[in-house]
Amino acid sequence: MRKKKKSLFRRIHEHEMVQRIETVLLPVLFGMVLVILWQTQVLHAILHTDTFTLPLPGRILTIMSENSDKILENTKATVIVAVVGLVAGSLIGYGIAILAALFTRWGAGGLSIVAAFNAIPIVALAPVMTNWTKDISNDANIRSMVAKILVVMIVCIANMSINAFRGMTELKVYAEDLMLSYAAPKRIVLCKLRIPNSIPYVFTALKVAVPASVIGALVSEYFAEYVIGVGRQIRENIVLAQYSSAWAYIVTACLIGIVMYGILMMAQSILLKKSN
Amino acid sequence: MSKWKNKTFYKWLPMIVWIFALILLWEIGASIVAVTKRTPENVLPHIYQLIQSVLSLKPVSSGKTAIVLVLTSASKTLLRAALGFAIGTLLGFLLALIMKISKIAEKVIFPYLMLVQMIPILGMAPIILSITGNINVSRVVIAAILTFYPVATNTLAGFNAVEREKYELMHSFAAKKSSIYTKVLIPFSVPYLFTGLKISAPMAITASILVDTLQGDGGLGTMLSQSLKHAMSIYVFWQIVFFSALVGILSTYLMGALEKVISPQKRTRKKVIGKGMESNEKKEKKLISQNT
Repeated sequence: MRKKKKSLFRRIHEHEMVQRIETVLLPVLFGMVLVILWQTQVLHAILHTDTFTLPLPGRILTIMSENSDKILENTKATVIVAVVGLVAGSLIGYGIAILAALFTRWGAGGLSIVAAFNAIPIVALAPVMTNWTKDISNDANIRSMVAKILVVMIVCIANMSINAFRGMTELKVYAEDLMLSYAAPKRIVLCKLRIPNSIPYVFTALKVAVPASVIGALVSEYFAEYVIGVGRQIRENIVLAQYSSAWAYIVTACLIGIVMYGILMMAQSILLKKSN
Repeated sequence: MSKWKNKTFYKWLPMIVWIFALILLWEIGASIVAVTKRTPENVLPHIYQLIQSVLSLKPVSSGKTAIVLVLTSASKTLLRAALGFAIGTLLGFLLALIMKISKIAEKVIFPYLMLVQMIPILGMAPIILSITGNINVSRVVIAAILTFYPVATNTLAGFNAVEREKYELMHSFAAKKSSIYTKVLIPFSVPYLFTGLKISAPMAITASILVDTLQGDGGLGTMLSQSLKHAMSIYVFWQIVFFSALVGILSTYLMGALEKVISPQKRTRKKVIGKGMESNEKKEKKLISQNT
């Protein structure tokens, strides 16, 4: 009797549907436990902190709803920077990858320089970009917007060009030889072979680039001239020791990242299914 | 011998040309800026001016020359970054191991890994500061948090990429579970671990510099913001920018070099120049011949 029960448990456990429910349910449960620990201040006791530095979730939510106008305005500024920088940077990066794949000899060397740009800390880039864009516009808002977008762009260019180049050169065995045997011109090889092959790599790049673009936008806001954006608000509120407002912006920043990542995942599941 | 020299020369030629092109571009920009701007050194100084400022013996702040100041504050910042990096690597690797051992742990933890990455680092600083009560400790912790994510996800990807045949072979030896981990999974994941390390090494440095800007007790970030506010020569700022860029790039190369020493795959490849290596070289040659 007992043995049978166990096997039933096993069977349920290994059932596909149950597995799928588990993937959703387990993290949600874990999150709920965390929130309960947080709300009941057990978390505070563990971390030796108080409700001033780590406000209760309820309080953060009230602040978020009370200041929704201001938060929305700052969110808009950050999202514009992150998205424009991400799109422009990824497009330029892809263009560089195409050029590098067409002229491999010079392109590969150029790409290793671009890869080096990837290792430059954002903290060093942001103030330089702010300096360089001083004369672009008389409006401090537009000026710092351009500077911030440039920082995000540089982060995305390096990432995308390296990954897309890999996608265009790490082809299936003999695919290139087949193209050669057809005497296909470079242009055709690019369109029919290299670009389709690079699409999964593009998504690999974007999976890194989306969080990086949000963080790039947040960090470059610290150094920007014009005081706007979620990242800048976190800092301003911390300087004023308004930790609960700072937390509201931290939560907002997390939400921006999660929503953008979610959109990317949806796009991936739609686009890649088609190509399969 | 001369053939070998020729080969390496050709390998490095495009890169050298690109670097020169970049320097040329910078200098053209600097020349234009020098004519059009009132304070060109704030926007784009000439490279010789930068080198001059590095070599100059004029004290910038509290009797130190610019380069001494940069190097002493860098040693503080980098030490913290390195410590945090080491701790983050260890924790990230352990977490990946736990997620591999237990499927339930993976399901619970993995979505939250994504979340941790989304939390803005600077936002964590005061909270961690209040918990640890020490700015230096909080710097280390923040660098560790940043390192932790890429290491954990990449190592886990490495564990999951082990082919079925490898497990089957180990099962046919009736190997214990622990020896499957030590003999197959962990060695196999080393290259993936290093992919993570290459991403997170510059990030740990970024984090450390960023936390410096919060409080003014020395360190690269403090000097950076002071120099930007013109509390000292602006060249300190440029030196820090170039220095941190250089250290960031070097940290990635250092990880690559470490990988060559540690990684079992790369070590054996060096000893036995096997088929894979040869075909790779052939592929490269083919690519080059196609394009010339």
